Amino acid sequence: MRVPLSWLRDYVVVDLEPEVLAERLTLLGMEVKGIERWGADWRNVVVGELLSVEKHPRADRLSLTTVRIADGQEPLAIVCGATNIVAGQRVPVALPGAVLPGDRRIERTEKMGVVSNGMLCSGDELNLTGDADGILILPPDAPIGAALTDLYGDVVLDVDVKPNRGDALSLVGLAREVAAITGGALRWPETDPVEDDRAVAELLAVEVRDPDLCPRFVGRWVDGVTVGPSPDRVQMRLRAAGQRPISNVVDVSNYVMLELGKPIHTYDADGVVERDGRRALVVRRAAPGERLETIDHVTRDLDRDTLIIADERGPLGIGGIMGGAGSEVGEATSRVIVESALFDPILIRRTGQRYGLRSEASLRFEKGVEHRLARLGADRAARLIAEWAGGSVARGRTDTASAEPTATHIPFRPARVNRLLGTDFPADEQRAVLARVGIETETNPDDAVVFVPIAAAPKELDAAEVGRDVLVAIAPTWRRDLAIEADIAEEVARIAGYDTIPAILPDTAMPAYRPDPLAVRDVIRETLAGAGVSETVSHALVAPAAAKRFAWAAELPRVSGSEPPIGRLIHVTNPLSADHSVLRPALVGSLVEIASANIRHGRDDVAIFEIGKGYGRDADLTREWWRLGIALTGAFDPPSWNRPPRLADLDDAKGLIELIGRRLGFADLRSTPLTDEPLLHPGRAARVVATGRDGVMLAGVVGELHPAVAADVDLRGARLIVAELDVAGLGGGRLSDVRPEPPARHPGAVRDLAIVVAESVPAVAIADAIRTGAGPLLLSVDLFDIYRGTPLAGNEKSLAWRAVLQAPDRTLTDAEIDQTMADITAAVAAAGGRIRT
Amino acid sequence: MDLSDLTRDLAALRDEAVLSIEAASDVAALEAIELDVLGKKGRLTGVLRGIGGLPAEDRPRVGAVANIVRAALEGAIAARGGDLRGAALDARLRTEAIDVTTPGRPIRRGSLHPINETIREIADIFGQFGFVTYEGPEVEDDLTNFQMLNIAPDHPARDLWDTLYVDIDGQLLRTHTSPGQIRVMTSTAPPIRALLPGRCYRYEAIDASHASEFFQVEGLMVDEGTTMADLKGLLDQFAKALYGADKRTRFRPGYYPFTEPSVAFDVECLVCGGSGCPACSRSGWMTILGAGMVHPVVLQYGGLDPERYQGFAFGMGVERIANLRHSVGDLRLYMENDLRFLDQFVAAGRVEAAR
Repeated sequence: MRVPLSWLRDYVVVDLEPEVLAERLTLLGMEVKGIERWGADWRNVVVGELLSVEKHPRADRLSLTTVRIADGQEPLAIVCGATNIVAGQRVPVALPGAVLPGDRRIERTEKMGVVSNGMLCSGDELNLTGDADGILILPPDAPIGAALTDLYGDVVLDVDVKPNRGDALSLVGLAREVAAITGGALRWPETDPVEDDRAVAELLAVEVRDPDLCPRFVGRWVDGVTVGPSPDRVQMRLRAAGQRPISNVVDVSNYVMLELGKPIHTYDADGVVERDGRRALVVRRAAPGERLETIDHVTRDLDRDTLIIADERGPLGIGGIMGGAGSEVGEATSRVIVESALFDPILIRRTGQRYGLRSEASLRFEKGVEHRLARLGADRAARLIAEWAGGSVARGRTDTASAEPTATHIPFRPARVNRLLGTDFPADEQRAVLARVGIETETNPDDAVVFVPIAAAPKELDAAEVGRDVLVAIAPTWRRDLAIEADIAEEVARIAGYDTIPAILPDTAMPAYRPDPLAVRDVIRETLAGAGVSETVSHALVAPAAAKRFAWAAELPRVSGSEPPIGRLIHVTNPLSADHSVLRPALVGSLVEIASANIRHGRDDVAIFEIGKGYGRDADLTREWWRLGIALTGAFDPPSWNRPPRLADLDDAKGLIELIGRRLGFADLRSTPLTDEPLLHPGRAARVVATGRDGVMLAGVVGELHPAVAADVDLRGARLIVAELDVAGLGGGRLSDVRPEPPARHPGAVRDLAIVVAESVPAVAIADAIRTGAGPLLLSVDLFDIYRGTPLAGNEKSLAWRAVLQAPDRTLTDAEIDQTMADITAAVAAAGGRIRT
Repeated sequence: MDLSDLTRDLAALRDEAVLSIEAASDVAALEAIELDVLGKKGRLTGVLRGIGGLPAEDRPRVGAVANIVRAALEGAIAARGGDLRGAALDARLRTEAIDVTTPGRPIRRGSLHPINETIREIADIFGQFGFVTYEGPEVEDDLTNFQMLNIAPDHPARDLWDTLYVDIDGQLLRTHTSPGQIRVMTSTAPPIRALLPGRCYRYEAIDASHASEFFQVEGLMVDEGTTMADLKGLLDQFAKALYGADKRTRFRPGYYPFTEPSVAFDVECLVCGGSGCPACSRSGWMTILGAGMVHPVVLQYGGLDPERYQGFAFGMGVERIANLRHSVGDLRLYMENDLRFLDQFVAAGRVEAAR
């Protein structure tokens, strides 16, 4: 809320410097987000006196003026287009070199052959009033030559009033807070209008058919008004507070809303149908089929959930939201009905959202308006209309609920307040502190049993029953936010100052040990970063097309015990942009997009990984699953002066996956060809599975992005290797201890084997055959070369393996080694391979 | 042949051998000379072969002279050998010299993302005070995300969280990590010290300071005697751990429906040090998180008796903390994943002298 200090001073004495006031309000919970020097953007604008006003010799619509801006100084000749000026008036003069709001620079110019030494300013040009046509006429006592900033400049605080403090969404409300700071008194504005002797009841009838939705409706009658601009002083205030001046009657509504926090609506009484000689308003739900043209000239279809103000003919306005065009106050209006009503906050909130109409007024209704403000707002509005627009106020109010509720009593325990805050405020001090914001307190003289409200849950009140050491706080009627003991504790802390709360470190019991759910993720992150792969964090919300395109079609292997990803995409129903409207089912699309973006930035080597979630649903069941994604392209070994670059390929990705497996204690990674995944090159993709003691510990796919897919995302022709993996513990798991074998005391036997197989036989089949044939004596077998060419047949390859044979307890005999090698040879032969000698 | 002949021959052999030893140009030539003169079939042995023709009483005398000659030649060979090997080593070292000023062979190192690293850092700091980490789902229900946090449907405070809804009735993308408070309280008995990092979503146009997806870390501590003073002490420690022990902090009233009293926690402006600058809107302070005492209604929904248990919760935006740590001014950088930005985080930090 914008708070012009000059206006605030109507209600409370403010002696503090603006910066100090801002800090004190902030520390009281009324955060000042900014301090604006209103009028600081009028540079070189001064008060001048019009000495003469004559017609421009060559332009009928221009005047030639002479303006005195200082005694003893030559008057300035200024050309002006406005018609509301006469000699003798004092007006704002922008001198050559002046700068006006909007960074408008004023220079010495020539207009139709006559030199103009500056400009006379309208209220609108100075952002002071709403009048853009006429020159702003200043009071006759405005000192000639004075800088306008000194006369009309102001300081405007931008206060962030929290949603629970609707009472402070007004100048009077904030003045109360200032008074709590300074100890000063609140000056309530005069609300009583001067009334004539016609009873309002004879002029206006109001019937509320739905008092739950409109608990109170106060009407006032003012007639004989002349609609026109508000006084300049009022317009200036509204402008500074961020409201556009419209007309005196309409400005009253806004003025009272800002001043008291009470939204007001005014009707042209002649737009309301008469019944029994009275203008008759009915507050009711709209009937299906009813329509209303609101003052923004949009015709709206109304529904049963909309509360309207109507007359016999039909809807006049949407209660608390917006009035209708048919009864809008305009230039011809002479009789005005003032509506100062209360509406149900939830009704207003829902209606405003449904029609897309939320205003300063509806926001205040949503937060709840104090009951008695219905009366005070009506009175104040009637008084101001009569003051600014003339007219006469009929006697009394039409009031549908004149009984005003009394203050709420909230018993609280000062000791409990201290227990919550960690403070040691004596009860008397708490009472004194509360009194500063108008919360009076009573003792509980006979230790009578009272219920202390602990938690006002939506349904029932959780209350502690106590007698001794209880005080009763009497919450002022405007403080609708106070209901339970903790609310009183906050008031005590807030007003005493949060700086009075000590800072200590907890010495209470510690929770039990809990394994860190991020532990496995962190091992993988550090491992991959150490291997030269950079971590990314990308949007989980993606475009629908990307989500569909980059979902895995092939069934992927899963870690033992993990739940399968489930099928359909989860859509956001109110996305801000279609590009972020679906939760991604996989990471691969995000990684491809990141790789593409970096390649387009001129980066030719990209090695990235991300640990993130995939999301899916099956009917109303949603699931989120953690995955590790990897993408590689370009040089995996970076080039340097002594080494050429080496491009990333599938084996680099597999090497990274194997490294993760080794780090997490599951060493055997098996790859099997994956030929039917549309995202991947059918000849360069594999399912990978690593098994540990507890079953499958790492599972997923790795492969080169299918050329057809790569062509659609801009990769500048680069090959992109991607992998997406489920890893045990990604979502939370602990790493058990490494159990090392002692180094063997007996030497192992190393044997190299060259095995010739058909090109179509995968290496993994031969590795399996060697393992099967060798049995328990095989310590390790590693592929160290693949050879193609003479003397092999064209469809053959030779795989060279190094096998290490070892027994834990003895040195192997030649006979044992020979037998094992014979067994290997037989197994390899069974798998379609022959030993090359 | 008599004694004097032999002695003369030995002297001549010695003189000649010494000359050739000193003239040897490399170790191989020296070894050849050694073999030729001192070897089993060498010239010294050859000369001594004539000893058999001498009278028995002369033989020891010749032996003594021969030993002197042998020792002299061995000494000469050793000296010359040392010289030659030293020279050879010198020559090798000279030829093996390389340009030591060329860059090293590059070793790949990837970077860790500043968002996850900041979460790690936050968890480490609070871990020192006994906080353990939990995680919750990102697709939440309205009940846990709002209602159990004392935010009824149509509560005006719902404006504080512009919500993204999904196409499942009653489900939404969590707008904050606070629903984790409920999940922890309903699954864990006090004493509770929980930390809940995670991804959150809001209906928010993306610009330099707003993101529709962002990360938060929630904290929750509940026990029988946990007070606002504990909260203040812990947060002060946290700010000092992150931003330096000399940084001042302040508590001021804030507003959240799920805390009462509520707190906004400020740290002295890291740009101007508190004197006021554009970065802190001239206030001298930067707000780094929101906090407060858990609202009794939230304790109830968490299954705890609010008369017996009390505690605090706090929530912070990870990007905000990261921005301040790294002087990053644009949130979008974190999710753009431009490697020119991310590569800079190969640095784990800058070592400073311990304070």
